[in-house]
Amino acid sequence: LSELLVPRTDVGEFRRRFKWMALVAFLAFGAVLVRLFQLQVLEGAANAATAHENIIHRVLIPTTRGVIHDREGKVLASSRPAYDLYVVPGRVMRSARPLHPGRLAEPDDITDTWPRIADVLRLNPEERARFDAKLHGACTTDEDKSPCWRPVLVREDLARDVVAELKQHENEMSGAEVVRVPVRYYPWKNLGAHAIGYVSEIDAETLARVRPPGFDKLPESEQQKLNPLRYENGDIVGATGVEHAWESYLRGQRGWEERVIDARGHYRTGPEADRLKDPSSKQDPIPGRDVRLTLDIELEQSIEKAMRVQRAGAVVVVEVRTGRLLAMYSKPDFDPNDVSGGGGHERLRQTVSRLHEDPLMPTLDKTTSGSFQPGSTFKPFAALAALEERKLDPDDTERCDGLLVFGRRVFHCTHVHGRVNMHEAIAESCNVYFIKVAEAVGMDPIAKVAEEFGLGEKTGLGVNPEAAGRIPTRSFYALRFPGRFYQGYTMNSAIGEGATTVTPLQLALAYAALGNGGTLYSPELVRAVETGDGAIVQDFAPRVRRKVNVKQENLARVNDALYGVVNEMKGTAFPARDPGLDVAGKTGTAQSAPVAGADKDPRMADWYRANHAWFAAYAPAKAPEIAVALLVEHGGAGPTVAAPIAMQIVREYERLTAQRAGKPGPPPKPKPTPLAVRTTPAPPPPAP
Amino acid sequence: MKNQRLLSQARDHFDWALFLGAALLAVIGVVNLYSATSVSRDALREVYVQQVYWLVFGGIIATLVAAIDYRHYERLGYALYGFGIVLLVLVFILGRDIRGSSRWINIGSFSLQPSEFMKLFLIIALAKYLHDDPKSEGRTLKDLAVPALIVAVPMVLVLKQPDLGTALILGLIFVSICALTRIAWRSLLTLAVSGAVLVPLVWTYVLKDYQKSRITVFLNPEANILGTGWHAHHARVAIGNGGLFGQGFMRGTQNQFLFLPDQHSDFPFAVFAEDWGFAGCVLLVLLYGFLCAWSIRIAATAKDRFGAVLAIGVGSLVFWHAFFNLGMVTGILPVVGVTLPLFSYGGSSVLTVLIGVGLLMNVSMRRFYVSPARGSLLGG
Repeated sequence: LSELLVPRTDVGEFRRRFKWMALVAFLAFGAVLVRLFQLQVLEGAANAATAHENIIHRVLIPTTRGVIHDREGKVLASSRPAYDLYVVPGRVMRSARPLHPGRLAEPDDITDTWPRIADVLRLNPEERARFDAKLHGACTTDEDKSPCWRPVLVREDLARDVVAELKQHENEMSGAEVVRVPVRYYPWKNLGAHAIGYVSEIDAETLARVRPPGFDKLPESEQQKLNPLRYENGDIVGATGVEHAWESYLRGQRGWEERVIDARGHYRTGPEADRLKDPSSKQDPIPGRDVRLTLDIELEQSIEKAMRVQRAGAVVVVEVRTGRLLAMYSKPDFDPNDVSGGGGHERLRQTVSRLHEDPLMPTLDKTTSGSFQPGSTFKPFAALAALEERKLDPDDTERCDGLLVFGRRVFHCTHVHGRVNMHEAIAESCNVYFIKVAEAVGMDPIAKVAEEFGLGEKTGLGVNPEAAGRIPTRSFYALRFPGRFYQGYTMNSAIGEGATTVTPLQLALAYAALGNGGTLYSPELVRAVETGDGAIVQDFAPRVRRKVNVKQENLARVNDALYGVVNEMKGTAFPARDPGLDVAGKTGTAQSAPVAGADKDPRMADWYRANHAWFAAYAPAKAPEIAVALLVEHGGAGPTVAAPIAMQIVREYERLTAQRAGKPGPPPKPKPTPLAVRTTPAPPPPAP
Repeated sequence: MKNQRLLSQARDHFDWALFLGAALLAVIGVVNLYSATSVSRDALREVYVQQVYWLVFGGIIATLVAAIDYRHYERLGYALYGFGIVLLVLVFILGRDIRGSSRWINIGSFSLQPSEFMKLFLIIALAKYLHDDPKSEGRTLKDLAVPALIVAVPMVLVLKQPDLGTALILGLIFVSICALTRIAWRSLLTLAVSGAVLVPLVWTYVLKDYQKSRITVFLNPEANILGTGWHAHHARVAIGNGGLFGQGFMRGTQNQFLFLPDQHSDFPFAVFAEDWGFAGCVLLVLLYGFLCAWSIRIAATAKDRFGAVLAIGVGSLVFWHAFFNLGMVTGILPVVGVTLPLFSYGGSSVLTVLIGVGLLMNVSMRRFYVSPARGSLLGG
């Protein structure tokens, strides 16, 4: 056997190499150690920080938006859950995925679940074809970041039975996911929509302002200054009305906490994960505050009913002794649910474009944003100016022949009044008398009194953009129409025509001031801010804007005339009088300025030509509680159109108040007598 | 009587340092594998058990390999080499395609990776060639032509799979063994010049795109953190997260939260570094360093050329594997799929390294014979 084994050979050739090899090994491992020292000791802290960042994810905790209540505590706006359906193309339509040679098909990997899902959703053939194409198109590749794995939104705000069906057959619908999202909900739909407002997704412009590029790298204090409400992309924000104006209270504050996350994006829990995070490093969400409005939604509902036959208009009901707004009604209106995301983006898009195209501008809050010529409802203020200036004796009479010729212009009156004093001129609404008043007093003293009552001046309500209206003065005309000053301007100024415009809100507050003895209040729409369990955080007391600078005796004289408007046989509103009510007010019929584009629709042309009908009032006349300003746009004459509606609103107010106090309401209104019909005055002729 | 003498000889000549060094590495390796795969939810979770089986099996084979006098391998040198080549060719016929390359042959429920064993066959073949070809003068290129051919055949086959890492190791083992011989200066110069010409050609015509991208990413790692550089980036973060003394066993967050890729095959060191910190790493690197130094020592005291080349061959196998893997994981070398001896999971790899250790043991134990052996196949 030894022959089989090789003889020992000379190893001398290798002898000198071993040391060099040892040196190479030493240097190589030395380099590794130096590198390790660098990574673990020198850069250890930095690497540990990166490692920590890798596994800690800051998760935002959503907050809940505050609820909006009416004065009785009824919910006007709250949040409800909506369910959206997403599908992952690669999972619901596996047949669309490219085939890889050699990949083993799993048993449950073969069937498509999409047809079943489409059935449950009851998609129509057209929709179905659209989604088929979309899902197919997503799966041209099935690599990790391919759209094949990105969820596609199929339906928003699913009906409850569909959600139930999807949940029940979950196993047969793999790849479909129902996602719950909060949606703002307005149970009273259109009622009070303008005042309550609506919410929408934050727009790009606002977002760019509060989160400029590089925002996340700014220090905390800078972030706080730029974006105190912590808006993020996709956030819901108040867009109009109280939702917008009280956003900072309603919104609440999102919380955040640290979560341990692994490389695949899964959150880890348990003691091992808890050990890694800093327990103090979290913030609980602060829920949004509830806001209690001064509005009475049931009164609003009654107003809606009373205004049902009218195409457009506005009503403001305000508490005479507090300035709190009981109702703000603007017509046409809209359903805030449709524009707040309920029902999905498609409905939102359609609704917005429909609202945008509507010439009657349903989203415009006419109670504050619309300014109109007040017509005869302005006469009490002209009368007060005359009394204050002592320019005429209220018991002196003027003769009305039904028209007044002034130069080349003819001022018309409703009819031939004969000789009327101030009281009769207000009660019977004689233009001729007031044109003479204007001549005697002048434009500026009238404007002074009107401004005392807050007309032509923003009320500072702070909800929705407010129109100022305008009470013209001589300097206004000098600026606007330089050159000659026409006496006609002055004449218009006493009867609420021409350049004079007011908002329904201003008029309601001014009549409230007439009724309460001269105190002009700041209007209030929000009564209190509350926590979710009803504890009051902040209570808003009535704020007096000013004491109107007029003599009480003069005020009493005018108020007496306003009582006459409704309660005297010859009063313009007498035909609309409700014996169960005690109302003082003034009718108005304002010539409406020609509307641009009114001729486009011939069916609407007649409507656009009609006058605006007004009724402004307070009730009960002896101890006023509420003031009402009511405008029916292009409704015709104030006495026949506006006054009956206003009476109905006052009656509803009385009924609701009595009902809540457990007392019987006002007696039922008797059927209109033939007399009332006969004495209905004809509308004034159109403007010259 | 004879058996007793054999046993006492085995006891006296047994290389305890080599055995303990390798055993310590194997134990640490399994413990680390347990930590590395504890996060997996699938079958991977059990691989440390498999590794233990492989270690036991490998230990038995290594004992047998050590028991048979290595001069018998010298005699069978080319036959073993030929066997290895046949296996490599079989890969293309029976091979299983995993992640775009075929490296495995299935035998029952096991899959073997012939390219691993080829490293040992190559060492034996080269050792036999050099053993039979003693030179007193410096070797010229002509003298190196046959050994170059011996390495070229398996390298080409492995590159075809394609497996850049193993081809690289084969080449480096060849270079290490050549470094042991005396080479004429003129030949060295010629080699250097031709190498400079060949590298661009290889880059253009041989390397696949993914292999090229690994090298470009290595040269500019920050450019592509989310792509190919992702592995390297997270490995470095995990190692750095270990700090001086480590996060503790099974507490390395980057491993626990799945930021480490291939934590059981190519990146177990990152798991170890995160768990045990710089202190643990020093110990581990010293262990590898010791194994390499010890094989050089064994080579230096070997009684014949075959034994010396064998020891250097196995030593270089361990060295290049360890250096390339550590270098890759720490980011001083490009990402090349090279396993860390006794740390990475893999039956073929474990068997190869343990058989290598058996060969070292073999050479080490037989350095004491003064005279040629007589009679016994078992090294008497």
